[in-house]
Parts: sequence; structure tokens; C-alpha cells
Amino acid sequence: MSNDTSQNGPLEKVIELRLPSKLGYERVAMDTASSLAKRMGFQDDRIDSLKTAVSEAVTNAIEHGNQHDSAMKVVVLLTARDDELIVSVADQGRKPLSQNCTTKIPHLEEIMEQPDKGGWGIWLIRELMDEVEFTTAPSGGNQVRMVIHLER
Amino acid sequence: MLEDELTVNTRQREGVAIIDLIGDVTTFAEEKINTAYQEVTNQGSRLVLLNFRQNDYINSAGIAILIGIVTEVNRNSQKLAVSGLSQHFQKIFRMVGLAQYADIYQDEDEAIQGFKSITTT
Repeated sequence: MSNDTSQNGPLEKVIELRLPSKLGYERVAMDTASSLAKRMGFQDDRIDSLKTAVSEAVTNAIEHGNQHDSAMKVVVLLTARDDELIVSVADQGRKPLSQNCTTKIPHLEEIMEQPDKGGWGIWLIRELMDEVEFTTAPSGGNQVRMVIHLER
Repeated sequence: MLEDELTVNTRQREGVAIIDLIGDVTTFAEEKINTAYQEVTNQGSRLVLLNFRQNDYINSAGIAILIGIVTEVNRNSQKLAVSGLSQHFQKIFRMVGLAQYADIYQDEDEAIQGFKSITTT
């Protein structure tokens, strides 16, 4: 990609996606992030990590934040900078994420004893991305901001 | 268009029940995978191989389904292995801890050899 510049220095390149809250649309975010990261020069293994993190964040927004209401949107912002890619995923927050849910570390042995074997998504995002922050979106929903650094 | 496509086949090879998973392992895959596992278990299979294809998409809901299989394999005293996972999903399997319960092989042939070395020792 060419570097857009203005009198005020380099411009950030921003892509915005507004996705229906229906499972399957996380792939659109995943594929867009993957395509952008590839153009930015990320290595394949980093792109795989990014794809998993984006897919988990959007899936959470669809399932938990927006409770599968396809009329509600998941907004994904991809910001390409020279040395990093920032992905922000916001839902419309029917159901806020608890603090516990954004910080807990799942243990396989414990989970094997439980009927629900899930709960790996947010932990995976934290493990795979360089920076992860959970906040409340301006719209009042949940927002996760993830950063992956470009190592040259 | 955006629904998951997963084809699940079961077959036997040299005493190993192979469950081929061709496609995406997400929340939509649960019934197909559990049905295939039940089928090979009802046939009395002791050795089970989950054979993936390199370019599949596995998400955390898919991982939860696989943890369910691992739990059943332990309960039924079977032996489980996985093959055909991309490097990325091999890494995720290790991160989650699944590698303690299922040997990871690059491909089906390597897995069959691995099962042989276990059963002959």
C-alpha cells in the first residue's frame, strides 16, 4: 500500500465494517483483517493469530453483546499504522461483559469437569494479540481494542 | 453463504477409527462430530484419530466441542490423536492443553505409525 501523507504527517488508514449480528459474519471481519495484514507485510503465523483473535472478538459481540439479534450491528474498525494494526470491535451491549469474564484464565482440567466446555475466546485473544483492552463503547456496548505489532 | 460447511466421514484403517473433519469446526459442527464419535465408540473402537485438513477454520466453540470429545475419550478409556492441523491450530491445541490428552501428528500416515508404536509397546 502507498503511504498517504498530508501536511500534518501520515494519515491513518481506517476500514470500517458494520456487520449483522449473525454467526458467520465474523468470517467477513476475519478475511478483511487478514487481507489488510498481508498487505501491511505481517508474517503468515501472525496473520493466523490475528484471524483467530478477530473471529473470537466478533463472535463474542454477536453472541453475548448483541444476543444474536441480527438487526443489531457489530462495528469493526481496522486502523493500519506504519508499525501496527489496531482492531476495535464494538457491539450494542445488550449484555455487558463482566470483569471476571475478561480476565479469567481457563484451565482445561476444570473445564473438562463442567457441562459447558467453552469460555476460551477472550483468553485466546489475550494470548494471541500484543495489546488487548476491554472498554465500554461510546454507544454503551462492549468494546475490545486489540493491537498487533508489525515486526520488520 | 456464511453457514459453516463441515463434512464428517468415519472409516477404519489398521485398527484405528478415523474421523475425517473436512471444513470448519465451529458451533455448527457439534452434532456431526459427536455423532461420528458415538458411531466409532459404539463399534468398539479403542483408537480414535481426528483427521483435519490443513486450511480449516476452528474457533473457540470448535475447541469446546473437541474438549467434549477428549472428556468422553478419557471416560471410555480410548486413545485419541489428531492429524492434519495447521501449525497455527497445533499451537492453539498446545496452548489450551489438549496436547496432554491427544498426540498431535502432521498427517494420517504418521498418526497410524504413532498408534502402532503405542499398541506394540
